Amino acid sequence: MAVQSQTPSKTSARSPYFYHVEPPPAGEQTADGRVERFLNAFAAILRFSNYRFLMDLYARASAKCGRCAVSCQVYQATQDPQDVPCYRTNLLLDVYWRYFTNAGQWRGRLLGDSSLSEQKIDEMAQAFYRCTACRRCTLECPLGIDHGLVAHLGRYILSEAGIAPKGLVISVREQLEGKTGNTSAIPLPALLDNLEFLQDELEELKGVSVSFPVDQEGAEYIFFPAVSDYLMEADTLMGNAAVLQAAGVSWTIGSQYFDGINYGLFYNDWVLERIIQKLITEAHRLKVQKILIGECGHAARSARQFVPAFAGERSLPVVSILELTWQAVKDGRIHLDPTIVSERVTYHDPCNIARSGWIVEQPRQLLRSFVRDFVEMRPHGRENYCCGGGGGLVSLDETHDFRMQVSGRTKAEQIRASGAQIVATPCANCKKQLRELMDYYQLPVQIVGVHDLVLRAIQL
Amino acid sequence: MPTWMLIAKGAALRFTLGICALGLLRLLLLTALDMFAALRRAGDRRLPLGQIARQTLSWVAPLARLHRSRPAYSFASFVFHLGILFAGFFLVNHLDILKDLLGISWPSLPKPALDALTLAAIIGGAYLLLYRLYAASSRRLSKLSDYLLLVVILNILLSGYIAGRPWNSIPYDSLMLFHTLNGIALLLVMPFTKIAHCVLYPLIRLGSEIAWHFPPRGGEQVIHALYGPEGRKI
Repeated sequence: MAVQSQTPSKTSARSPYFYHVEPPPAGEQTADGRVERFLNAFAAILRFSNYRFLMDLYARASAKCGRCAVSCQVYQATQDPQDVPCYRTNLLLDVYWRYFTNAGQWRGRLLGDSSLSEQKIDEMAQAFYRCTACRRCTLECPLGIDHGLVAHLGRYILSEAGIAPKGLVISVREQLEGKTGNTSAIPLPALLDNLEFLQDELEELKGVSVSFPVDQEGAEYIFFPAVSDYLMEADTLMGNAAVLQAAGVSWTIGSQYFDGINYGLFYNDWVLERIIQKLITEAHRLKVQKILIGECGHAARSARQFVPAFAGERSLPVVSILELTWQAVKDGRIHLDPTIVSERVTYHDPCNIARSGWIVEQPRQLLRSFVRDFVEMRPHGRENYCCGGGGGLVSLDETHDFRMQVSGRTKAEQIRASGAQIVATPCANCKKQLRELMDYYQLPVQIVGVHDLVLRAIQL
Repeated sequence: MPTWMLIAKGAALRFTLGICALGLLRLLLLTALDMFAALRRAGDRRLPLGQIARQTLSWVAPLARLHRSRPAYSFASFVFHLGILFAGFFLVNHLDILKDLLGISWPSLPKPALDALTLAAIIGGAYLLLYRLYAASSRRLSKLSDYLLLVVILNILLSGYIAGRPWNSIPYDSLMLFHTLNGIALLLVMPFTKIAHCVLYPLIRLGSEIAWHFPPRGGEQVIHALYGPEGRKI
């Protein structure tokens, strides 16, 4: 049976958008000031970033052929012209052209047309979050326009104008300004207890003592998983630790900062850079040589792409646990029993490390090395479909209907068509979204991390 | 000498070509300089140049990709561009005018081949226009200028094609005047409309990549500009 969908309501009673937004502090902001705030934020961002030339280039060259529409899983589900990536991009380009180019300003004076209104801001606030930032549309744009980057910029401007998803803001507030310093608000003592528990579990499972080292100065790697893994993905973490121990890698977890998540990638460059600086600071405190990112697509991409950008001379190499594990298998440092995993397994590519990154073949080769029945979804790799929860949407519970009925529908259909019993995916966000999708569409498929399977097969 | 020839061989076309060439050159140079400045500001200046070049070149002759997304539309767009490029740059009549005006020329292509390409471009262009008019997703994207530019280009192709047909009953000079005036209009607006993608195309993918290379402390500077030195809480 093919999965069916409906377009959920685009608004909710609690917010003008399909996600919740924190109300502005009393006296600080009124609805009437939003246009001015938006334009001020846009102007400041253009001044201090590298977006201005891009806006100019896109505004001049965009042919608006609409070819991107077909590649977008949101448009595939809704067939709504407003979900065409190019349409969304042009919402912002129109504002740029009207207010930040001479031609647009003259046209505005002569014809009296004003591009920006409260309604248009609302339209952008809706549109830029209906995009899952998967950047699949960039594959089909003949000109090379990156609609995902424009959605990123649109979200950045909106956030400085006071419109950002509450779920992301609250997590980041705890990570950067809260007591615990991580998005899941895990206190350090709880983390340490958790590590002890994982160590005991692993010993019980494999009969070997595997350590989770904390604050080991001078280790080769400092390890940053998605911090939510400590709460929800025990098998993934045990798989990570088992590989690191078996491969003889020296590694550590930092007690002062241990969260790989970087929601700044989803909505705000200021936040993005501050989180990167926290990674770097902790890495240097412990005098490590490299940063190791766990199974998390956006964490790996944001660290790999932005540590060199923001850390300057303090930059350190960033490695994904998937690269490290596959290298260890190739080197013969770890051994995976090919008789253990007999179910049919497929692999879901997290967009941030496949299409926008460098991890495509490594996990496939790794899985093929010990999984007896490995199948691919179609399409896959760099052309994969987003799980439907990308761009931070999966962290916003109120977007559930949209993620199930619209943005995740194509992925559910792909998984069903693959006939797989297990989907392995190295991303905390993808796993959460895919589990919800399997429940929603009642598909009897288990969603696991790649290292969950490695844990089953590894010989210690 | 008919009016169209006076225009085509006179100051009007020379002026128009000058505006077009200088305008496009200015665009190209300013864009390249802006990109260079952006890269200098970036914290990480490494670029996957080979990959970008391969992707850019792969869309110059995208035959292997046309079937993947909106195949009919994509094929129509491809032959439309092909016809414009070949008829525009390799028709002997155009090259004669160019030689008169600027003293430069290059080998032309046989007229029958160019006629076939022009006809394909007309059919392709008409399909693009109808698609833009009738497909909701394209209509929603389109502004008046998107239709007008297509119409002007179709005017040029159609009048040029019909003028050379033995069955044509419209006076040749009238058609050529129409052809020339539309051609001049197109040349004049090229640097100021989306047709500028004809020269900006090689820079767009590179620009998209450079824009992902953020300058360090850019976000902090934005916060200071908006909220003063104390910044804001999250």
